[in-house]
Amino acid sequence: MSGKQVSRRQLLAGTAALGSVFAAAGLTGCGGTASAASARDIAFWHLLSGGDGIKMQAMISAANGANPGFKVHPTVLAWGPPYYTKLAMASAGGRPPELAIMHASRVPGYAPGGLIDPWDMSLLAEYGVTAESFAPRIWDKSQHGGQVFSIALDSHPFVMFYNTDIAGTAGMLGANGQLQEVGSPQDFLAMAREMQKVTQAHGLSFGYLGSGSQMWRLFYTLYKQHGADMELTPGQPMKVDRDAAVESLEFMASLFDDTVAAKSGDIGTGIAEFARGGSGMLFSGVWELPTFKKADLPVDAATIPTLYGTPASYADSHSFVLPRQLNVDDEKRRDVYKFVSDILKGSLSWAEAGHIPAYQPIVQSQAYRDLTPQIHYANAADIIAYDPEAWFSGSGSDWQTYFAENVQNVLLGRDKAADGWDAFVRRTNTLLSRPNPV
Amino acid sequence: MSSLATSESAEQAPSLPGQPRRNPSRNNQPGKSPSSTAQSSPRRTRDNLNGWGFAAPFLAFFLVFLVWPLLYGLYMSLTGKSLTGANDSLIGLANYAEALADADMWHSLGNTLYFTVISTVPLVLVALVMAGLVNVGLPAQWLWRLSYFAPYLLASTVVSLFFSWMYNPQLGLINDALAKIGLPKVGWLNDPNVAMWAIVIATLWWTVGFNFLLYLAAMQNIPAQHYEAASLDGAGAWRQFFSITLPQLTPTTVMIVLLQILASLKIFDQVYQMTAGGPSGSTRPVVEYIFETGFTGYRLGYSAAISYIFFGLIVAVSVMQFFITRRRSA
Repeated sequence: MSGKQVSRRQLLAGTAALGSVFAAAGLTGCGGTASAASARDIAFWHLLSGGDGIKMQAMISAANGANPGFKVHPTVLAWGPPYYTKLAMASAGGRPPELAIMHASRVPGYAPGGLIDPWDMSLLAEYGVTAESFAPRIWDKSQHGGQVFSIALDSHPFVMFYNTDIAGTAGMLGANGQLQEVGSPQDFLAMAREMQKVTQAHGLSFGYLGSGSQMWRLFYTLYKQHGADMELTPGQPMKVDRDAAVESLEFMASLFDDTVAAKSGDIGTGIAEFARGGSGMLFSGVWELPTFKKADLPVDAATIPTLYGTPASYADSHSFVLPRQLNVDDEKRRDVYKFVSDILKGSLSWAEAGHIPAYQPIVQSQAYRDLTPQIHYANAADIIAYDPEAWFSGSGSDWQTYFAENVQNVLLGRDKAADGWDAFVRRTNTLLSRPNPV
Repeated sequence: MSSLATSESAEQAPSLPGQPRRNPSRNNQPGKSPSSTAQSSPRRTRDNLNGWGFAAPFLAFFLVFLVWPLLYGLYMSLTGKSLTGANDSLIGLANYAEALADADMWHSLGNTLYFTVISTVPLVLVALVMAGLVNVGLPAQWLWRLSYFAPYLLASTVVSLFFSWMYNPQLGLINDALAKIGLPKVGWLNDPNVAMWAIVIATLWWTVGFNFLLYLAAMQNIPAQHYEAASLDGAGAWRQFFSITLPQLTPTTVMIVLLQILASLKIFDQVYQMTAGGPSGSTRPVVEYIFETGFTGYRLGYSAAISYIFFGLIVAVSVMQFFITRRRSA
């Protein structure tokens, strides 16, 4: 060793000195927060990004400002499996946040396993939120096994956006300035072709490639329009109306002929095409509305046309759930109830992001009625259909991925609809036959 | 770079500087390590203690983060443990029986093996060609080395995003280029027959630089005299490549192939981010299936059983590697 090198002793001394510096810094850090620590800290996880995330942050800030007793700290995680995996693991490991957002359709995978706690409706009533605050379909969905496990913030159906300029040029607008109603698959295709003549590109945009969620949203809308049901009971084969399913898939496949809609488009491509006027209509979730508003597109919206007799629309709800705590801190839990009631009462700003508020006093307010095009699809709340319940179904679930695996080739015209559907049913039946992990 | 090459020839040249010396207490040949013979017994005990002391942090890590999870995972694979904490009773080999009868497990395992085969070949050959091109003495060597190796430094998310855009059927660069020369559009990530190849191409671009560096280092270690002698004898460039370069590279090639096989078997990131296993499950590797059954499907015990089946496969490959390299050096 040369004399210039640091000896072990010097190194240790140096490390110790550095350590004390960091410790001191840490202490001042603590002191800093301690001075403002009269407010209780509430951890809140959600999966809302983009425009939704900005709106949610504003709502959280407003609630924090109005309640000096607590401070809600949001943690935003990526939509889909990353979020649900982390939430389940945090709850199972005993370190969950005090409050989380979950899709109502995912609750059946969490409630039976004890990952979330039921809500105490009498406590929530103290803050002015009761069963009557919700539309019947949404309220029904918040229950599981006779208890209330989720408090819905919204319902967000799959809808149809349309470009009023293009629809007008194609002669498809009614006297009220809204799109004419069509009542059959043929009429819809004809309308899309008229719009294609205007855009010279496509009549309809629908991005689906690689996205089980997108394929499922449209499929389930069409399937439910047949008035058909779907039941998933562990230990039994899937109960489903095969003819309705196959007919829905065949109709979907018929859209992708490069005239009605692009043969191969993913979500991003579909939205981009519609936003630049490359098509007259777009099937998408209501959450896409701010994008088009921002792009100054002449956009209106409606529920997806009833093509098979029964009005229906796939939807889910962003809902508040209480991840199970090892030890419930009563004060914090009370804060959580207050926070949730504040957010519900302030959900007009959530409606601006496109969602249909779950809290009825907002929906019935004049301010909401003045929101267009939101009010044009507000009727969806009465016709929404949530996913069939099972521990493996729901938004962002593997089940939707399995749907894509078996159905994408049908939509691309490579497989027969019946074959794709039967393969999906087989996959589902395998899941139903396996041990139930929740 | 040269240290990579010396580690290859470590068997022949144990006394190279930088190489770890053999443990003197095990290698009791007088003269080779004079200090060991002079040591008294208490001194040796103290050295041993010091040795354990230095090894302790690593050993603790090894035990806590490798051995314990390994044993716990094995135990878990014999239970019906779920992520929600439900049913963690012992169920014997039921998970293994279910896994062996699970078509999706076999399919994903098949995908992993398919990917390993079709990725290893180009990842070795292209690396060899690239190293050969740089080694012949192109000007601005640093630039070639940098541009061949740079992609390796990117995170898998970056690479996946980047290629997802290029592969986009409507807006992607690649289909745009194909259209310009009059070829039909390809559903790079949407066609079950093409998707795996698309991922191989992305992986090749991303990771070939590492093998390239290993090859380049080995090539630059081949004594120049061999080539001089060969050219005096009238051997041309191809002859020299096949009779000198390739044989001299054999140890490197064996190492690269085996490292590459092990790396390819672990494929997960790119697939998960580019296709999530689709279309039609055609790219889902077994690691993704393990992740799905365990973390999004909650069935930790079952997922652990599949992990152990896959673990067995990797051990088999590693044992093969051990025998191949031992036979070579014998």
